[in-house]
Amino acid sequence: MAEKRITIRATRFDPEKDKAPRLQSYDIPFSDDSMVVLDALNHIKAHVDGSLSYRWSCRMGICGSCGMMVNGTPKLTCNAFLRDYWPRSITVEPLSNFPIVRDLVIDMESFMHKLKSIKPWIIRKQDYPLGAGEHRQTMEQIDEFRQFSECINCMLCYAACPVYGLNNEFLGPAATALARRYNLDSRDQGIKERLPVIANSEGIWECSFVGECSVVCPKGVDPAKAIQQTKLDTTMRFVLPYGNREE
Amino acid sequence: MSAEAQASATPRAYRPEMARGWWLRQRHYFLYMVREFTAVPMALWLLWFLVEIQRASNGPKGYYPHSSPGFVVFSVIVLGFALYHSYTFLSLAGVIIHIKGVPSRLIVLSQFALWLVASVVIAAALIGFAR
Repeated sequence: MAEKRITIRATRFDPEKDKAPRLQSYDIPFSDDSMVVLDALNHIKAHVDGSLSYRWSCRMGICGSCGMMVNGTPKLTCNAFLRDYWPRSITVEPLSNFPIVRDLVIDMESFMHKLKSIKPWIIRKQDYPLGAGEHRQTMEQIDEFRQFSECINCMLCYAACPVYGLNNEFLGPAATALARRYNLDSRDQGIKERLPVIANSEGIWECSFVGECSVVCPKGVDPAKAIQQTKLDTTMRFVLPYGNREE
Repeated sequence: MSAEAQASATPRAYRPEMARGWWLRQRHYFLYMVREFTAVPMALWLLWFLVEIQRASNGPKGYYPHSSPGFVVFSVIVLGFALYHSYTFLSLAGVIIHIKGVPSRLIVLSQFALWLVASVVIAAALIGFAR
């Protein structure tokens, strides 16, 4: 019986030679039904063309490194099975809306800057002394923010967001979801430090609720929900008496 | 290393631009654009409505509502857009409104129920005044 094969079309871009990215086709064996797109790229790199560049690490949907456009949709390539596409060919491109550094590798500097700007850590006005013990939380308090803490910073939501594509200054889905994660945390007291970043014109108000960020999230986080709820919360803080009180 | 030397050593990145037809690329983007676009004819119709109110401000004597077939067709189309816009808006209420212990489905259903009640009350008031 003839060996099953699949065609992978991958973006190639050498910044020192190419003016623009181009697609290159690779015909590779599809030997195992459990093969994912990342396995196909690893096969190409190991056996066909060692110069192909892409990011990956854990191969189990945890590290968020291997996000790419698979047939036009942002996906973790370690979670995109070849069997779902075969016998059609698969086009693998770098995540949309980001500068391309080489082949399938994007420049994530802008995202890292946004992520840092919302201070994704617990801020206390005054730290407990170590001897005072831990900050205790009830299950209900954890449930308030749990889903937003699942974000793995894979940036698929940014690749799916046309608002970010049109305006790279937009704070974007993942950063806002993480800001909400900390603002909802009963141990945190940093909302006033985050508000100038979240509630400015390049923050939540830039979002027009396309909603695709939540559709493509591989971890079930709902960044669109985080953004819309933050809009409502910041409005209430502004409108209600004592809304801007110290917390 | 000087800033200039560093810049020349940094490889050039390719900055892709979004295609103008990005919203035709997938169904979800297209429906989003339709949702946003519905606001335009609704705004036009409301502007016309303001003109009608201004025309009627001199009293019923000599006032005839604009009723050309073209305007009626336009109004029916705008009604369709308004219904679609309202449907999408109220469907998203469950995502936006967060009340502890209340399922989002119940929030959406209550929004639609309120919409229905408001529509019945307004329709009854208009029919009542017209008699």
